[in-house]
Amino acid sequence: MDTAIQLTNVSKSFGRFRAVDDLSLKIPSGSMFGLLGPNGAGKTTTIRMIMNITAPDSGRIEVLGRQMDRPMQNRIGYLPEERGLYRRMKVIDHLYFLAAIKEVNRETAKKRIDGWLDKMELRPWLNKKVEALSKGMQQKVQFIATIVHDPDILILDEPFSGLDPINTALLKDYFLEFREKGKTIIFSTHVLEQAERLCDEICLLARSKKVLEGTLKDLKHRFSENQIRISADTDLGTLAGLPGVLAARPMNGEFILTLDQSVDQRAFLKNAIERFRVDSFSQKEPELEEIYLTTVRDAGLEDTRTIE
Amino acid sequence: MNWKKIFAVARREYIERVRTKAFWIATLLIPFLFLGYIVVTIATTRKAGGERHLAVVDVRGNLYEPLAGDIAQREAEEKKKSRTFPHWILERRAITGDLAATKEALRQEVLKKKISGYLVLDPAALEKDQAEYYSTTVSEFIALNTLERSINRVLLRDRIAARGLPKSLESELDRRVDLKAFKVTESGTSEEKGAGILSAIIFLSIMYATMISYGFQVMRGVIEEKSSRIVEIVIASVQPTELMLGKIIGIGLVGLTQYFAWAIVAMNLSLPGIAARLGTTETGAPKIPVDMIGYFILFFILGYFLYASVYTLIAAPFNTDQEAQQLAMIPMALIISGMAALNGVLANPAGGIAVFLSIFPFTSSLIMFLRCAISEPPTWQIAVSVGVSLVTTVLIAWIAGRVYRVGILMYGKKPTIPEIIRWARYSPRKPGTSPEARPAS
Repeated sequence: MDTAIQLTNVSKSFGRFRAVDDLSLKIPSGSMFGLLGPNGAGKTTTIRMIMNITAPDSGRIEVLGRQMDRPMQNRIGYLPEERGLYRRMKVIDHLYFLAAIKEVNRETAKKRIDGWLDKMELRPWLNKKVEALSKGMQQKVQFIATIVHDPDILILDEPFSGLDPINTALLKDYFLEFREKGKTIIFSTHVLEQAERLCDEICLLARSKKVLEGTLKDLKHRFSENQIRISADTDLGTLAGLPGVLAARPMNGEFILTLDQSVDQRAFLKNAIERFRVDSFSQKEPELEEIYLTTVRDAGLEDTRTIE
Repeated sequence: MNWKKIFAVARREYIERVRTKAFWIATLLIPFLFLGYIVVTIATTRKAGGERHLAVVDVRGNLYEPLAGDIAQREAEEKKKSRTFPHWILERRAITGDLAATKEALRQEVLKKKISGYLVLDPAALEKDQAEYYSTTVSEFIALNTLERSINRVLLRDRIAARGLPKSLESELDRRVDLKAFKVTESGTSEEKGAGILSAIIFLSIMYATMISYGFQVMRGVIEEKSSRIVEIVIASVQPTELMLGKIIGIGLVGLTQYFAWAIVAMNLSLPGIAARLGTTETGAPKIPVDMIGYFILFFILGYFLYASVYTLIAAPFNTDQEAQQLAMIPMALIISGMAALNGVLANPAGGIAVFLSIFPFTSSLIMFLRCAISEPPTWQIAVSVGVSLVTTVLIAWIAGRVYRVGILMYGKKPTIPEIIRWARYSPRKPGTSPEARPAS
C-alpha cells in the first residue's frame, strides 16, 4: 500500500517545551487514521506541521511521496480544531472564496458546492450571512469548505467536538464514503470510542512522544487476554468463585471475567451452564481504552493530563 | 508568491467592503460634509455682512466725523456693486475721567454685549502708527481690513491738510499695487489665484483622512480574522505573506474606488468651483491640474502601502482592537505630524523643513504631494522621496510579514514588545527557536 504521509524523526519545541519529540509515522493511502492522545500530547502541533502551518525544528515530512510544500496544501483538506468563518460573509460567497484559495476554478467549485448544498440541506441558507446560521449549520458549511477542492487527504483536528449526535452520524457516513473513494482520512480525537469504531490504524501520543502505533486489529490481538463477557442468572460472588476466574467485574448488566490463561473457554461455559442459566457468552476483545490505559500506565505516563 | 491566491484574497476584501452600506454612506456623505465644512469655514472667517456696533474714542476730537463719513461712503459704493460689506454703526464716546477709566467702562459694555467693540484713536499711539481695536472676536479679517483702510485714508487726508497741500493729492497718494502671483512651471507660467493652493489642501486632507481610515481597516481586518479563528483555515491554503499582501491590495482598491466615486460627485457638483467662489473674490472655477491628480494617486498609493504595513505589524500580535489601540497611536501621530507641518510647507515649499519632511518616509507621501501641487520640486527630490518610501515599505512589510506569520496563531495572552521583536527575528530554518505558542488545549 502506498504511503500518504510519512514523518521521519520530527521534533518541535516551543521555547523550552518540547511539543513533539522525535516522531516517526507512516500513514497508508486510503486508510482511516486516528491520532490519539490526551490534551497537550502534541496532536495539534503534529497536524499543523503536516499542513505546513508551523515548521518542524528537525525531521522530514513527506506527503504523497514528496517533501511537504505549499502547492501540496491544495491536495489536502484541513479542518482545524479552532473553527471559524468570516461572520459577515454570505454562505455561498464564503464557499467560493475558500475554493478560490485552493485554486479551484469557479465552474468546478459551483458544481461541487451545488452537490454538497443539496446533500447537507443547506440550500435555503445560501444567501444568508454566516452569523445568521446556527452552530450546526456553520459546521456543515465548514465541512463543505474542507472538501470543496476534492482533496486526496483529509486532515481533521477533533472533527467531532461540538457536533450533535445527528451530525456526528452524518460525518461518520461521509468519512466512510471518502474512504471508499480511496482517500486518506486522518483525524485526531481524545474520544477513544470514536476512534475504535472508525479507524483502521491509530497512533497514540502521550507527552509529546509516540507510545503506540498500528492497525486496530493487530493491537487488539497483541493486548488480548483470556477474557469473557457473560450474562447469567447469578451474582458476582458466585462468578468470582468459579474455578479459573482471576477477576470478575460487572459491566452494563453483564459481567466481565478474566480467566487464567490455562482455562479453556468451552469447558468453562459447560461448567457454568450446569450451575445457572446463561443468557449470553462471548470472547471479549480488549477495548481501545483498555489498551490505551495499559500502555500509558506501563510507560509511566499516567501522571500526564487525563483523558476528558 | 502565488498571485492567483493573492488575487482571491484581495477580491474578497474588496467585494465584502464595497458591498457594505457603511461604505456607500461614507462615500456619498463625505463630499457633502466637506462642502459644508468649506462653506462654514469661509462664512465664519469672512462674516462680512451683519451689523457691528463700534464705539470710537477719538482723543483728538477731529477724526471721528471723517472716519464715519469714509466708512459710510465705501459701504454705499460696495453695495452698488452688490458686494457684501460689513455694516459698521459708529458711535462717538467722550472721555470720562481719564482714558484708562473710559476704556474700562467700554470693556464692560463689550462684555455685556451692548457694543461689539471699541476703537481708540490716541494721538500718542497714532504717532507710532498705531490704533487700538478691542472686541470679543478679533479674527474677522475682512471686517477689520475695511476698518483699517478707512482709518488710514482719514489719517492721510488729515496729514495732507495739516501740511496745506492740495486735496487732489489724496487719490494720488492712496494708489496701491495689487500683487499678482504667478506660478512658474516647466510648461510656462500661470496666474495663481489661491484656488490651486485651496484644492491642494483639500486633496491633502482627503489623502490624510483616507490613509488613517484605511490603515485602521487593515488593522481591524487582521484582528477580526484572528478573533473569528478563520485565519488558520485560510493559511492552510495561503501563505501568510500572500494573505497580508492580498488584504492590503484589496483594501487599497476600496480606497481608490472611493476616490473615483468622489471624483464623479465632485465633477457634478463642481466642488472646488464652489469653494473657489466662496474663498476668493475672483469668479470662475479653477481647473484642477491633471498632474495634481497623478501625484495624488501616486503618493496615496505609496503612503497607503507604507502605513498599511505598519498597521498590519501592529495588529498581528493582538486579539482585540483595544489591545492594538495603544500602538495604533504611533502611526496616527506620524500622519498627523505631516499635517501639522502644513503651514510651514505652504510658506516655504522649497525650505529645509519641507525638503526633509518630503523625504522622511512617514511624512513624505503627504508633504511631497503638497510640494508637487503648489510648487515644482526638483525631479531628483521626487525620485529620492519615492525611493525612500518604497524601501521603507518593503522593509516594514518584511518585518510585518514575519510578525504576522507567528502572531496570527497566537491567542490568549497579550504579548510584550520584546516578544514581538523575537517573532520578527525568528526564522523557521533555525531549529529550536520557535517563538510560536503551543496550540491551546
